[in-house]
Amino acid sequence: MASVNTKSGVVYDARGLVEPDPEPPMTAEIDGDSAVIDATDLTTRKINLELKRIVYDEGVNNVTIVNPGSKHSLGVGILKRCNITFEGSPGWYACGLIDGPEVQINGRVGWSLAENMMSGSVVVEGPAGSLTGAALRGGDLVIKGNVGARTGIDQKGGTIIALGSAGINTGFMMQRGRQIICGDVNDGLGDSMYDGVIYVGGKIASLGVDCVPGEMTEEDHEFINRKFEIYDLGTPPELQKFECGKVLHNYDALEPSERKLVL
Amino acid sequence: MGVKHTVAIDAETLAGKRFAYQEDISLIEDIDLMELTPGKDLNWLEDIHLLVEDGTPAVFDRNSNSFLKIYFDIPEGRGDEIARKVLMKHLISGNSYGIQLKEKHCKFHQVELGPWVADSKSVGDNWVPPVLDGWEPPLH
Repeated sequence: MASVNTKSGVVYDARGLVEPDPEPPMTAEIDGDSAVIDATDLTTRKINLELKRIVYDEGVNNVTIVNPGSKHSLGVGILKRCNITFEGSPGWYACGLIDGPEVQINGRVGWSLAENMMSGSVVVEGPAGSLTGAALRGGDLVIKGNVGARTGIDQKGGTIIALGSAGINTGFMMQRGRQIICGDVNDGLGDSMYDGVIYVGGKIASLGVDCVPGEMTEEDHEFINRKFEIYDLGTPPELQKFECGKVLHNYDALEPSERKLVL
Repeated sequence: MGVKHTVAIDAETLAGKRFAYQEDISLIEDIDLMELTPGKDLNWLEDIHLLVEDGTPAVFDRNSNSFLKIYFDIPEGRGDEIARKVLMKHLISGNSYGIQLKEKHCKFHQVELGPWVADSKSVGDNWVPPVLDGWEPPLH
């Protein structure tokens, strides 16, 4: 395999594919149940290999990754309950495909944060890019800043909370789950949503196809207050509820196997 | 009790048998849902609800894309709670067909029983692609 050396001494595949060396770097500082990974001189694959090594093989439950340097695809595919803290900002696709971890990001993130997350939680102290929580299946995703376009696109479960504003087509093709957007949302809120609920605290530029206002219930208030308390988000703002108008709601006519895709 | 085969795929069809906790509520009452889920509430289980499949109360198991039917009487007002407990009993017991497939077919490392069981064994570390008997790779 062709490879090139960089100034930092890190070797990359010359075709732009994966880091060719599949061995974890063994650089984490482990102290009992906690560990620190300094990502400064590590490639994405090396960081993830080291993270998986200490979580799976060493049984460490509290991992801090310092100097993530906005590298992409960090913390993906962790399928075990543990606590992961990023001191700094990961890039695109951070914490995708996770099932169980509770992640704290003390920075900002790029697009597609926690896409396909199955369970666990991800809390971001700053803003997040577009496609935040794409195809989210379960768990909680909390962004304390703004989020970009198509937040929760194809969301099939779980909860997305943004304390700031959201971009266009928020909740696009949403199929289940809940979103709480405390700020404003741009055009096309909930476009083509089939199910799920979106709560909005600010102004809405326009609603998407088949997204209609709903009526707040006691269960809605209990849910919102509980989530704000769990994540210490203060008092929730006055929220409007939006849900599917069910004009496009025709799952019963579909094959049973297709119905299951959204459960 | 025999397994009734229907058009839909359900968990007992995949397993070839019905599980005791589908018929006896006492076997799932001690399941601690908070203990089994991340965070300070039910987390992903919040999306699990009591459904109906083939006219029978059921819970959906996304790990095997199948319904797990519940045959005992469900106390009023406890539908979702019972559905979640039956599902978790099914998962932590390793009886979900999706979990059983991991041992043979999982291509990458993961914990066999999922994140809800601490210290579950690893699977997928030594996967090798299956080869048909008599097949040889082409020369070119």
